[in-house]
Amino acid sequence: MPSGNELLTPLTWQPVPGAGGAQCYPIIRKIDTISSNSYLLRTPDALLLIDPGGLAEQADHLASVIRECRKEHYLPLVVFLTHAHVDHFLSLCQSPALSDPTKSTIAIHEIGAISLAEGDRNVTQAAILGMEITGVEIGLRLLSREGAATPGIPVTLTFPSGASITTIRDMVSTASGAPTQRERITFGAGEGFEIYHTPGHSPDSICLRFGRMLFIGDMLFAANPGVAGLCGWSQDSLVDSIDTITPLIMGDEIDIVCPGHGRVIPVATARTMLNSIRRDAVALRDIKELNTERSQTTAVFAEECLEHVSELFTIMAGRLYYVSYVIDELGDADMAEHLGTLIRSDTVDEMLEGFSAFSEEYRSGKQQPIHLALKAAQVIAKIERSFDGEALARIIEPTQISRAGRLLSDYTTTLRGFSPPTESSEQNISSILEALIISHSVQACSDDDLLLSADDNDAFVQVLLARIGTPPLLKDVEVMFECPDPTLIAAIDRDRFSDLITEMFEDLVGTGATKIQVTAYTSGSSVSITIAGTGCIRSINERETGFMRRACHDAGGSLIYNCSGAIRQFEITLNQLQ
Amino acid sequence: MEINIATHDGATVLALTGRVDTTTASDLEQAINREIERGNRRLLVNFAGVSYISSGGLRVLLATAKKLRTENDRYALCCLSAEVHKVLKLAGFTSIFSIYPSEGEALAKW
Repeated sequence: MPSGNELLTPLTWQPVPGAGGAQCYPIIRKIDTISSNSYLLRTPDALLLIDPGGLAEQADHLASVIRECRKEHYLPLVVFLTHAHVDHFLSLCQSPALSDPTKSTIAIHEIGAISLAEGDRNVTQAAILGMEITGVEIGLRLLSREGAATPGIPVTLTFPSGASITTIRDMVSTASGAPTQRERITFGAGEGFEIYHTPGHSPDSICLRFGRMLFIGDMLFAANPGVAGLCGWSQDSLVDSIDTITPLIMGDEIDIVCPGHGRVIPVATARTMLNSIRRDAVALRDIKELNTERSQTTAVFAEECLEHVSELFTIMAGRLYYVSYVIDELGDADMAEHLGTLIRSDTVDEMLEGFSAFSEEYRSGKQQPIHLALKAAQVIAKIERSFDGEALARIIEPTQISRAGRLLSDYTTTLRGFSPPTESSEQNISSILEALIISHSVQACSDDDLLLSADDNDAFVQVLLARIGTPPLLKDVEVMFECPDPTLIAAIDRDRFSDLITEMFEDLVGTGATKIQVTAYTSGSSVSITIAGTGCIRSINERETGFMRRACHDAGGSLIYNCSGAIRQFEITLNQLQ
Repeated sequence: MEINIATHDGATVLALTGRVDTTTASDLEQAINREIERGNRRLLVNFAGVSYISSGGLRVLLATAKKLRTENDRYALCCLSAEVHKVLKLAGFTSIFSIYPSEGEALAKW
């Protein structure tokens, strides 16, 4: 568990600000998909638990704290679920101590109550997380339609647990000016809850205010890749819900915001975060639903993507080591040391190896596709912060940096539920291939560049670094280009197509090809391009071509890969414009 | 990763099997350093059983190259898989190290 912060200390009873002596015992976990935070509150009249979480041991811990509280005198327990996702409630199914209706009353928004009564594995996310759920008996349906009919009239209910709960409904204004329902709940003379319906992350999501604390459920994560688009997620509702909660957050009635996962945050931070989440949410129109099928296809992409990212970053880091080595040989130890800071390769290696181990667990059935997809997103976010792309692109092959950046971005886009952006247009294939072969055959920084920079030390060093760092890819290879029709036109995404061809050249050169034959010709209504290398070394493992196939598809074509002895061959088919 | 060390024709051959990753790269570095400390300065690293090398592994290879550059020293790699060769080639390392297809060809050149 995280160490908490100065706002709230985990696993300790502490006063709730502005709640007349009520106390809070928080369980604050590192962010994961297994279990939420739990917040146990103690008033003179009741114990109030917000989200028991998804783990049996978490429920056992809560049950022992509750037993301790009841030693002096019995207090009824009321369990509030911020929403009916398994990571927030599954422990109820596993722990009679928290769900026994003679000692505990469970409260959830009425939409969530229906999902739990029906055992809906989709809305509860049990299906995507590969979990089973059993029925949960709900005592109190929050913000019910029935209650809305009697605004301003207090209704007192008593439950088998001994809880006596008074609820009263009213309307409040949201940031957009539209009114919204609020339910106020008290448990005797002490402090009670104000409850707001805040759908978006799920249809039944609620936020609960208690004293100067706001329990916000998963709203802070609702626009994140891998969370947005889950079954029951709604973009419109999320934006409206942020508007619902904004007046509360922007006013001076809240000090601490308690999320469903991770550390509690000061209200000022929550204001900034909600602004940003609203912006993100507005941009998420028409995303695909993140269901079991999409989580599986995303997991496949995650493995392909990170396998390629791993190779690309090792090459980039290695190239930087190489430049650093040569510069050190030339006597500039300071510059050599500086170069080592442009990629935090230890961090990148650690992230990628962590993903590789996680991927093994996934393949052995210990992890679900959505877990792998989210793990990839976590790793990619850290990798993106671990290199200085701009500075690197001045020293090593710039297309490697841009390809790495695009790959990381494509994955995040896919996880968000969008297709990676492509720009298809008519292009002369012959001239693009010819230009690529030439650009990969000549030194990017010429002798003239070097001479021209000689009067300015900084400029000279920069040109020297680039010259060492970007030798021509095809300089030691015999390349033959054959294209009978110099006006061969096809519809492609030019940048992605150029990157794909460069990837193929790199593959062939990297595996030791001494000759590369590039052939482009018309074949029926298609354009066929064959790129074949001879003299290649055999792979230990059969080569994964999933990444290349996907890259070829995004560039506008399809790919067949053949490997026979020392010959490796890529055959691309592009649609020719009529 | 396993490292088997043997002596052939006056050369020390370190045969690797497995992944050269962040953890195992330091094992490789220690093994190489031990051999150098023992005075074995003709090192051949056999990659026949390696399909993955991390940047940490590349750093160890480069650090070794810096240690073995007196006239009588020898340092080479052999039996690279396509995967490892690709990384070394595109990183530029093939212009620093001598790389051979087999142990026999490497030792014959020494």
